[in-house]
Order: sequence, then C-alpha cells, then structure tokens
Amino acid sequence: MTAMAGDNGCVGLVLVSHSAEIAKGVADLAGQVAGPAVAIVTAGGAQDGSLGTDGGRVLELLRAAAAGTGAVVLVDLGSSVLSVRAALTELSAAESERIRVADAPLVEGAVAAAVAASTGCSLEEAARAAEEARNVAKL
Amino acid sequence: MSQSSELLVERQAQLPATVALHARPAGMLVRAAAAFNADVFVCANGRRANAKSILDVLALGAEGGTELVIAASGDDAVEAAEQLALLIPSLV
Repeated sequence: MTAMAGDNGCVGLVLVSHSAEIAKGVADLAGQVAGPAVAIVTAGGAQDGSLGTDGGRVLELLRAAAAGTGAVVLVDLGSSVLSVRAALTELSAAESERIRVADAPLVEGAVAAAVAASTGCSLEEAARAAEEARNVAKL
Repeated sequence: MSQSSELLVERQAQLPATVALHARPAGMLVRAAAAFNADVFVCANGRRANAKSILDVLALGAEGGTELVIAASGDDAVEAAEQLALLIPSLV
C-alpha cells in the first residue's frame, strides 16, 4: 500500500460516490480549482463498474490517506455513507485521527475542501470548509 | 472579525478579457487571499464575496473583462489589497 500524500504536507481528499463517473468528474473539477498539490482519490461505483459502492476500495483509500498526510472524505448518499462508516471501524485510533468525513454536498464540499487544503490548512479546517458549503448561497 | 472602525482598503483591478473568475483562476485568487490575515472581499457587478471562500468567489460568476474591487481590512490589509490587485490582471 502506498501512502497518499499531497505536496508540502497538504491534506488530501477521498471522494466516495455510487458512480465512477461522478467521482472522477468531481475529482477533475476539484483538482483544477485546487491545483496539483492536493491529492484527490476516488472510490466510485461497485467493483463490477455498476452503480454502487465498493467497501474494500474505500477502506484501502482511507488507509493510504491515514498513512500519508490525511484526508477529508466526501460522500454522495446512502450506501456511500455506510461504506465509509464501516471502513472507519477498521481503522486504528491513530489512523482515524487523520481522516475526517465531511457532512457536505459532494461537489461543492470537494471543491471547497480542495481549495482550503491547497492553502496548507489543517484537516479540520479543510473539512469545515466543505461543511460551510451547505450555507453558501449558490444563486 | 474586524471592527467597523478599522480602515477598509480598496483597490480596483480588471480581469483579462479572456479570463472569467471560474475554476482555476478563482482557485488562484482564493489561495492568494488566504495568505493574508486581513479580511478580504472581492466585489463584482454589485455583489460581494469573501475572497477566502472558493464557493463565494465562484458564485460571483464574474466573466472575462469584469472590473473587480478588492476590499480588505485588518493588519495586512494594504498588502492584501495591493497583491490581489496585481494578481487579477495576470490571471490565466
């Protein structure tokens, strides 16, 4: 397992979605806004490529992030949340401290967290930036 | 949060004609603003956004060629406003 680490110690992002396309699209967008220093990885869709979640992949990504600079986790809905919760129970206490699941909309949260991370902020600050996305007026 | 008695420093700058304040350029502006302690706002078309919040800045929807106003207050407000005013016309 390779640790997931951003440049200059930037925290990273783990995006979990029912859809591989959604996860990749959000990763591309967040990556463009945040720049290359922020590592963004995705767990989108089931193992066979259909809509769903792959718990094994989620755990693998969380472990890699915890071994590196830590990550904010963004989820879409339903079983994505359940997969993340299940994976968290498999982590050690030390690993868990480097993972923060943000209660935020996937796209807006990922963009906000990624940009925050690119400024070198802490894990908690990046997660809060994601969660503030719920309050920002879009229109 | 800054006190109302603190000086508000303002600088104007224009986005290049071909550069809208979307995605990458917005991210660059936010990263630059985040380096300062001052409260920093960017204003466009009569709307004001927290320059340290990417979602706020993106919501401005400022198209290429738009005149922006940077408003800052706090310790390094002058430096913040001037640096961002220099950055804006050079965004790509």
